[in-house]
Amino acid sequence: MSRSISLGKILESRELLYTLLLISVILPIIHPLGIPIAVSARTKAVYDYIENNLKPGCHVYFEIYYEVAARGELEPNVVALTKHLFDKGCKIVYGSLASFGVIVFELMKTTAADVFQGREYGKDYVFLGYVAGGESAAASLAKSIKGTVSVDNYGNRIENLPLMQEVDKATDFDLVIIASSGTDTFAYYVRQWYTPYNVPLLFAALSIIAPSIEPYVGAKQAVGMLVGQRAGAEYETLVGRLGLGMASMDAQSTSHMLVLVFIVIGNVVYWSQRLSSKRGGGK
Amino acid sequence: MISWDILGAWLSAAMVVWIYSFAYRDNLFYKLAEHMFVGAAAGYSIALALDSLNRVMIKPAITTPETFWTTSWHYVVPAILGVLMFAKYSRKYYWLARYAVAVNIAVGTGLALRTVPIANITRQITATIVPLWGSDPVTVLNNWLLVLITIGALTYFLFTIFPRRAEGARPSPLYYVYRTLYYIGIYGMMVGFGALFANTIMTRVGFLISIYLIYLQPQYWATIVAAILAAIAILLPLIRKK
Repeated sequence: MSRSISLGKILESRELLYTLLLISVILPIIHPLGIPIAVSARTKAVYDYIENNLKPGCHVYFEIYYEVAARGELEPNVVALTKHLFDKGCKIVYGSLASFGVIVFELMKTTAADVFQGREYGKDYVFLGYVAGGESAAASLAKSIKGTVSVDNYGNRIENLPLMQEVDKATDFDLVIIASSGTDTFAYYVRQWYTPYNVPLLFAALSIIAPSIEPYVGAKQAVGMLVGQRAGAEYETLVGRLGLGMASMDAQSTSHMLVLVFIVIGNVVYWSQRLSSKRGGGK
Repeated sequence: MISWDILGAWLSAAMVVWIYSFAYRDNLFYKLAEHMFVGAAAGYSIALALDSLNRVMIKPAITTPETFWTTSWHYVVPAILGVLMFAKYSRKYYWLARYAVAVNIAVGTGLALRTVPIANITRQITATIVPLWGSDPVTVLNNWLLVLITIGALTYFLFTIFPRRAEGARPSPLYYVYRTLYYIGIYGMMVGFGALFANTIMTRVGFLISIYLIYLQPQYWATIVAAILAAIAILLPLIRKK
């Protein structure tokens, strides 16, 4: 057995990779390395769009559609965007087409208590809660929020909330932000909010989702996209509130380095095995 | 005295460790965490769905019936259709469930088809019509890649018409054009899949990091205890086998 094959055997054990991955994640969190991150052009473009196009008193609809496991990827984006919007004097209507949206919204509010401090519920922001119905619900909300839901997440009648007297349909909003861990949600809003009403959409997506929804951004059906934890960290830098996104960056860098090293080793072992079996006359 | 908050935090840290322990080997604590997760998730989803129904329809219908019957009476229709879904458990009335499913599918299809041709076809095609000459070389290169890979990928999936190379005959220029686009399509898709795979790793690692930061680091004692228990549960059957 050649040396490359025995090395391959050791590297084949998934336990080794998982252990090294765990170490590469935990170590930089315990001892931060402080690797600097640059703000990408894509994140800066989103920041600039909000900065240049939204005026004080503007209205934003914010779809919260991600489960608890995806908090780390999307919550930094949601919190940083919320802070930016509040700082700009915008009013936000949150809603969720997923039942778990209620849980993650409350968790987000607890984590970002400082962002919501001084903001009055009903006047500066509203949470509609879970709106059942998927794409049909998205279409219905675009036509009329009051016609779709009669009470908010906390049981208050929609017509009694001051903010909801200012907005009702898709065209009343200056921007719609979709933070989602599923591909379909983005398609719902492109089909039911952007195409019929031409409302600007902004995406905050998991890294894994980004390639699937990139065509919407490329076709200018969305004004921009924030991709995963990295974009969250960049946006946190831009709005000056460092949080979960920034705290994760060192671990992201080291774990990616590890994966890159393993990809290189895997390729070297694969090619050396192939060469040695060719020389030996094997398959 | 132990508070519910601390108990919950310990439990969540332990659950995370036990679920991740499957990466090493299936074990008793993984099974426990898995079953608890599935049960709790199903229960929670049902509770939230019922709460939504109660908040939007049942409670307003009881507390403010006048307002409800004048402004929100139409909620009764989906509620009836929802109840009809349960008819499939009856041998006699199972056919009633078909009406609920039919309405659901019809509404969904109708709403989607209203805008799909524009949103998913026309806009996507027009987005690939881009200038191939200009002053910015990076934009020009990107545009060329966009056009070539789009045509290449379409060529790859064009199963009906393709120029064949006749036995012994010299291939036609069309054959070479087809082959070139075909390979551009293959390599373009490979790059796309590579980006998708890289993003998958990024997301999974992101999940791991955030879960560590949110649940494990604040309750490190629970994490250590849960990890030791999982290690014992993995090693014990192996030792017994030997």
